[in-house]
Amino acid sequence: MSEIVIDNVGKVFGEGGGRPFLAIDGVDLRVEDREVISVVGPSGCGKTTLMRMVAGLEHPTSGEVRVGGKRVTGPGPDRAVVFQQFALFPWKTVRENITFGMRSRGATKAERDAAVAHYLTLMKMEGTEDKYPHQLSGGMQQRVAIARSYATDPGVLLMDEPFGALDAQTRTIMQEELVRLTNDNPRTVMFITHSVEEAVYLADRVVVMARNPGRIREIIDVATTRKAEKWSEEPIDDVMEMPSFTHLRGQVWRLLREQMGSDI
Amino acid sequence: MSERLPLWAWSAAGLILFFGLWQGAVSSGAVSSFVLPSPLEVLERMWKLMNQPFAGALLHEHLLSSFGRFMGGFLLAAVIGVPLGLMMGRFRLLEDIVTPLFEGYRYVAPLAWVPFAALWFGTGIGGPIMVIFTGAFAPCVINAYRGARLVDSYLIEAAQTHGASEFRVAREVLLPGALPSIVAGLRIAAGLGWQSLIGAELIVVSSGIGFVMVQGQSNLSPSTVMTAMAVIGLTGLLIDIGLRQIESRVRAKWEGR
Amino acid sequence: MAEATTGRRPGVRFMSRSRLTGLLTVATVIALWFLLTSVTGLVGEFRFPSPPDFLAAFARLASTGYAGGTLLEQALQSLRLVAIGFAAAIAVGVPLGFVMGYDRRAEAFFNPIFLVLRPIPPLAWIPLAIVWLGLGDASKVLVIFVAAFVPSVINTYTGVRNVQRTLIEAALVHGAGQGRLIREVYLPDAAPMIFTGLRLSLQASWTTLVAAELVGAFLGMGRVLSTAYRDINTAMILVSMVCIAVLGAITMMILARVERSVIRWRKT
Repeated sequence: MSEIVIDNVGKVFGEGGGRPFLAIDGVDLRVEDREVISVVGPSGCGKTTLMRMVAGLEHPTSGEVRVGGKRVTGPGPDRAVVFQQFALFPWKTVRENITFGMRSRGATKAERDAAVAHYLTLMKMEGTEDKYPHQLSGGMQQRVAIARSYATDPGVLLMDEPFGALDAQTRTIMQEELVRLTNDNPRTVMFITHSVEEAVYLADRVVVMARNPGRIREIIDVATTRKAEKWSEEPIDDVMEMPSFTHLRGQVWRLLREQMGSDI
Repeated sequence: MSERLPLWAWSAAGLILFFGLWQGAVSSGAVSSFVLPSPLEVLERMWKLMNQPFAGALLHEHLLSSFGRFMGGFLLAAVIGVPLGLMMGRFRLLEDIVTPLFEGYRYVAPLAWVPFAALWFGTGIGGPIMVIFTGAFAPCVINAYRGARLVDSYLIEAAQTHGASEFRVAREVLLPGALPSIVAGLRIAAGLGWQSLIGAELIVVSSGIGFVMVQGQSNLSPSTVMTAMAVIGLTGLLIDIGLRQIESRVRAKWEGR
Repeated sequence: MAEATTGRRPGVRFMSRSRLTGLLTVATVIALWFLLTSVTGLVGEFRFPSPPDFLAAFARLASTGYAGGTLLEQALQSLRLVAIGFAAAIAVGVPLGFVMGYDRRAEAFFNPIFLVLRPIPPLAWIPLAIVWLGLGDASKVLVIFVAAFVPSVINTYTGVRNVQRTLIEAALVHGAGQGRLIREVYLPDAAPMIFTGLRLSLQASWTTLVAAELVGAFLGMGRVLSTAYRDINTAMILVSMVCIAVLGAITMMILARVERSVIRWRKT
């Protein structure tokens, strides 16, 4: 079981030197096993920091994060991260990038070859195994990064605006593919984004955050509507025009706009 | 436990260990001070050389004559090299003409020019200036060229459509646009020029701080040699700091536009 | 040097304008050289040699030898010293730079010592090296070591210091330990910068060796140069300058080839 429990977590930056800055204050959140949540919020609300604490790349100043019942103290093989800048190793081929995490676990050569073949087929990228990242388009690079994370077979996938650096068309295709992927291979997913449409389309629940200090403003359920309206059977463009989708999107939008108002 | 130690303590430990080991090795008699004078002995020697003529002059007089030569060669390299580099960045033909000659020249170690420099311009002032020039020339040209290539061609076209002459384009667009790169090049040039001068003075010249080293070497006086090394290092450092000041000022002005 | 290779192929099918201009420049310079020396005698042989003198001097150095050895012996002597000094410097310098870039405490420990030693130009070590070790090979290797050491440390240090944070994190979240982190992230990401350091080190090695051999040596290209200077043999001065430049260029090309074979992933 790979549920994420964020238990009254706070994070202060710049303790010791400089002016301390309260990035996150008293966040409580439980993500069920194989649930997909997306986190949206204005910049500076601490959504990336929250994800990095689940990844073990940052440490909470107060409270704790538990994954699968175990307290997070650092990065671990049960959680994989997909970064916005792809973070592929430029000196490794597609094959070597995909199998990077598997090698940490000591997977045999046969296992690794099988995984490369499997994921490249899944991503419709057959024949690219010996290419270097710079020879691929941005969308393909991010597919490789996602494959690299999947290949370690983690219970939890953490995604930090993974499609933020892609153009609009590629982004739409990737969103659709990610939904297909998480349907076929369910994982606990925490998806950070600043796109409201993306957040609503991908997630079972949307977590809306507020800033100063970073905290959870509201959690909106999407899964019920998605099942009832059978979103996953329609192409993405049609889903985004359905009244059920636009209703939810408006709901999230209003919560974000409220905050912008308070800024001015 | 070592995690608790602040970083400055590591820095202090490094310096103390370095100078301590040096002084300790000599004081304890493990190394003869005839081979390696202690830091204190070097300071003592420096004081003496500043008050008592050695190799024909006081230490700072030697330094001054070296510095004069350095400025001569360095300014010459800048005055010829920077405009040449800018023009190479502007005019393709000039670039094509100069590049093969320049590539050949670049591989000749600056010190290898010493014999010709001495034959052509003598060993007094002209020869050393030429050696400094050959050391400092390349970075002046290369950085001015790169800087000029980085200047947005729109800016040049904008100047031209507003009726600017070629001279105004060079002075008001190319030069300021390339300035950060040029100043960075001058810093490298100064370092190489200063070091070439020392080389020249070691080989052919009979005054200057490099000559002090040669004399110290033939008198088998490592404390004199190390005194000169310290003075050379310090002077080089001051030159670099001065140019770095200019560089950061140019950058601040350009990037904070 | 690139011009010489194209010159071997008269039947080039296509020649770019810039290459043609370059060839013309070289041809013009050679023609001018002939004109000023052999033809008109405007420049005397004690100022600059004529092309025939130059070739004769080259032939002499290559066959009977000059200043105690033939071209091959002199060149091999210089090459050997550069190879030893350079190899020793990078064998110590690159690991030291790596540790300084990798560990904040090592950085704090070594950096101030560097700040003290770094401003002293390598050439300024020559007299001290001679006082310590005499005029033989050992003093040359020492000054080459000092000259090549600094750039290899500084550039490795900078390269490791600037390894991309996200790549380190990507390796960490995919379970890489310290060993894999160093081998598969730090080293390759710092490699271009390390090679920049090696190039600068190699260049400094040659500059310093020439200077050290000019100050005093029994054999080597710098010795050829200083003997020619003492004999006021301008043709031999030019020959040794050209030979030194060619030797430097050859070693730089070898290094560039090594770099290309190590860093294969870069866009070209």
